[in-house]
Amino acid sequence: MAGGVGLLAFMKERLVSPGYVIDIKGIPELKSMQDDGSRGITIGASVPMSDLLDWHPLHERYKALRDCVSLLSDPVLRNRSTLIGDLCEALPFVDSPTPLLIFDAEVEAASVKGRRRIPVSEFIKGLAETALGPTEIAVAIHLKPPPENSRSIFLKHTSNSEFSIVNVAALAANTSRPEEREVRVAYGALAPIPSRVYEVEAPFKRKAPTPQLIGEAVAIIKKKAEPMTDVLAKAEYRLHMLEVLTLRAFTELLRA
Amino acid sequence: MQTIEFKINGTKKRLETKANVLLLDLIRDKVNVKSVKAGCWRGECGLCTVLLDGRPVKSCLVLGVEANGKEVITAEGLAPEGQLSRLQKLFIEKAAMQCGFCTPSFVLTAYYLLKQNPNPTEREIREFLSGHICRCGTYNQMIEAILEYAKEMKQEQEIPLPQPPRKKKDKKNERSS
Repeated sequence: MAGGVGLLAFMKERLVSPGYVIDIKGIPELKSMQDDGSRGITIGASVPMSDLLDWHPLHERYKALRDCVSLLSDPVLRNRSTLIGDLCEALPFVDSPTPLLIFDAEVEAASVKGRRRIPVSEFIKGLAETALGPTEIAVAIHLKPPPENSRSIFLKHTSNSEFSIVNVAALAANTSRPEEREVRVAYGALAPIPSRVYEVEAPFKRKAPTPQLIGEAVAIIKKKAEPMTDVLAKAEYRLHMLEVLTLRAFTELLRA
Repeated sequence: MQTIEFKINGTKKRLETKANVLLLDLIRDKVNVKSVKAGCWRGECGLCTVLLDGRPVKSCLVLGVEANGKEVITAEGLAPEGQLSRLQKLFIEKAAMQCGFCTPSFVLTAYYLLKQNPNPTEREIREFLSGHICRCGTYNQMIEAILEYAKEMKQEQEIPLPQPPRKKKDKKNERSS
């Protein structure tokens, strides 16, 4: 248990009843936030979200992640909740995997057998299911450095409760030079597993008017998405809001 | 049973507790501090907020044993010896409550906000208090009280220090040069 925000809530609902709970907040390594510049950043498992909001690398370089954290729950809860905790819940409406996908983040897992890194794209296996083994714990998240001069954004649409029904993270660099232009996009909350849409990345390197490129990208994303219908929203509505949010994100990032 | 030691509102406490007892229950039932209220038990209403090592946390989502070696402050801690702090008085003056059930938690979070940001905008206050629910809906009055507090603190700081009177001759010299 790090912040315990998720675990204690689940225990009260009797969704889980562990025999033992181990508080990991006393382990110094897990409290660290490390900025390695050109090699990326590392966020320890017990770093509360409110500390992330104040941390300088997130202000410019990893802005999409900051946007995401600043919209999660509320300021008081963020003094306890952690990024890894949010990720490990692996519920469909969890927001944090989406921005992590565009920064090629990896989860560092540790057990008595050793350590390994799991890309966030392979971390969430299904509804409340992660790639962590039964004896493993997630100890840190590593984010790769974003491309030079890149800007990123995170947007979400919530149902009338605070749960996301769709969220989008996007990143763009060198927008004025087509052949060097780099655009990344990921969506989540649409289905149990969030995904990065690699298919839009090559088309963005062509020379064409920006609105046309954006239109094509949105079409690719809509084609790939497999939205679900659940208690929060219908699939059709999710798909429509995915279009709205991706359009908004691209327009914001690719503005001349 | 585990023995834990922590400071609450300046007083050291040493007590025995089961590992699965929430900090909220520990404070109310064992320490007998009743300004900490139980509303939803699931981190949504914010009424159980306490300052744990100076930071507001919802005590229904904290285990009692986690407070071991830490310092807890509740609304009582803002009014030592029963003397209300200025912020608490302003909540009364602005009628920032109806039933008063949520007031201690709002005061605590507002106190923390003002410590972090002595001059918050209305928007910042609203955002910061978004984890608290007041069923009577006295949000506007609370925001008024917090803004008023910030204004008063600012004025206090801005009271100019007494300056020695300037000589008229100096002024003339400055102008001519």
